[in-house]
Amino acid sequence: MYGSYKLSNLNISVRDLRVWVEKDGLYRYRRKLGSAEVEKIFLNDHDVILNPVEPVNLPRSITNYLFIQFSKPIFVEPVSSAEVYLTFPIEIGVFVAKGYDLEDVDVFSFVKPKYALYGEPRGGVIARFWQSDVFSKPPNADFLEKGIMKLKIYNLSGLWVEVNKVVFDVYAMKIYYSSNVVSSIAEMKIHSRKVAETSFIDEPMFEGMKKAIELYVARRIPILSTKFTMEWGL
Amino acid sequence: MIEEIFDLVLKTVDLPLYGEVKVKDVLFAIVVVVIASVIAKFIVMSLRRSLADKMRKDQLELLVKAVYAVVIIFAFVSVTPALGINLTGLLVAGGIIGVAIGFASQRVISNFLSGLFLIAERPIRIGDQIVVDNISGIVEDMSIMSTIVRTYDGLYVRIPNERVFTSNITNPVANVARRFEYAIQISYRDDANKAIEIIRNVVERHPFALKIPPPQVFVDSLGDSGVNIIARIWAPSSVWYEVKMSLLWEIKVELEKNGIEIPFPQRVVWFGKEA
Repeated sequence: MYGSYKLSNLNISVRDLRVWVEKDGLYRYRRKLGSAEVEKIFLNDHDVILNPVEPVNLPRSITNYLFIQFSKPIFVEPVSSAEVYLTFPIEIGVFVAKGYDLEDVDVFSFVKPKYALYGEPRGGVIARFWQSDVFSKPPNADFLEKGIMKLKIYNLSGLWVEVNKVVFDVYAMKIYYSSNVVSSIAEMKIHSRKVAETSFIDEPMFEGMKKAIELYVARRIPILSTKFTMEWGL
Repeated sequence: MIEEIFDLVLKTVDLPLYGEVKVKDVLFAIVVVVIASVIAKFIVMSLRRSLADKMRKDQLELLVKAVYAVVIIFAFVSVTPALGINLTGLLVAGGIIGVAIGFASQRVISNFLSGLFLIAERPIRIGDQIVVDNISGIVEDMSIMSTIVRTYDGLYVRIPNERVFTSNITNPVANVARRFEYAIQISYRDDANKAIEIIRNVVERHPFALKIPPPQVFVDSLGDSGVNIIARIWAPSSVWYEVKMSLLWEIKVELEKNGIEIPFPQRVVWFGKEA
């Protein structure tokens, strides 16, 4: 489903999702998912790209943070590193392109969004909430609903640390996709039992994966920082 | 003829006005201030264009006002020698005049200082929803003397900064999340645990009813007409009212769908036997 299409040829039908174009002199982009319907009008035929995007846009954008709660805590030994695999929610963005100029026209998802507060009401952040199991190798995940995240954990402190969650600034999220996998690689540097720094690494998890167009690039959102400091506990 | 007019203009601009200051000096000062004003407006416009999507509106407004003031003050200071104004003397005179003005216009000074403190302390920002002195609304602008609030019914209200600074300010969106509460009554016949479960499920389905902190749903009291259940829900401050408006009806519909009755006030009346 992910990839490039010509607007005039767009016709996707997966599960209860239907994306198609009606031509009556204009190009009417239409999308139906469950009971939600969207219609947008284009004057000319363009290239259309569908790919997974940063999962913070639904039902509407109120934050740029992603909060992944582990189903079970991980204990990380002092001054060590480890790699675990998690899942993250997928939202699918639809972009129109003219040359290098991109515009996002639609975002939808097969998973229901939920939000949570990381930290205190004063000074904390609202974040897209997701609960994930922790895996030692890439899990099988439904590529329309869940992406696979490789999380490299570095415990820089001299203490045992219990990690229950990880929070990211997704404006710096790098997502790669293939025909059956969506992935992202991130790292978490633990400085103490309460503080860690998270960021994304711009590389594919498997060979042959394609880099997804990022929403903040299409929306020309200036990125001030690519890292997030978790200072409200791990 | 043209030469005569030219000579007349030259003589006119060379005429002394006061002291050593001539007409041409005043004209020069006016031109400099006008040019500075045009430059300041151009800079302000450029700043607005380039930073509108990169800075918060209140910060941008503050920056724009500061830049405009700096350019104009710089222009004014640079033309004062041409106007024969001695700044040192002006400062001394300004000090004396300042004291006099201070006594004469305490409220104005108070508003001005309150404005400075408000800018420094930043209890409110442009775009915030606030309640000040029984006025509720959205902050439209904050100047050095007053704060402009648009009430929820669209009225323009100018509040002097002194009142803003000395009043209790409630800013319901200053924190990123806030809690609201529903009181829901069910009849004594119904199962309160089932009702709590239903309410929890409805809250769980709403994306903006926050998962963390978790919602609290519990039996609060046994009322005259039914069992009182309280639901306390956290939501992002930016959308809390929208969540509050939508959830209550969803809860009511879901409770009724599951056969749980929301009772009317009722009273049991016992009639004694006639003697």
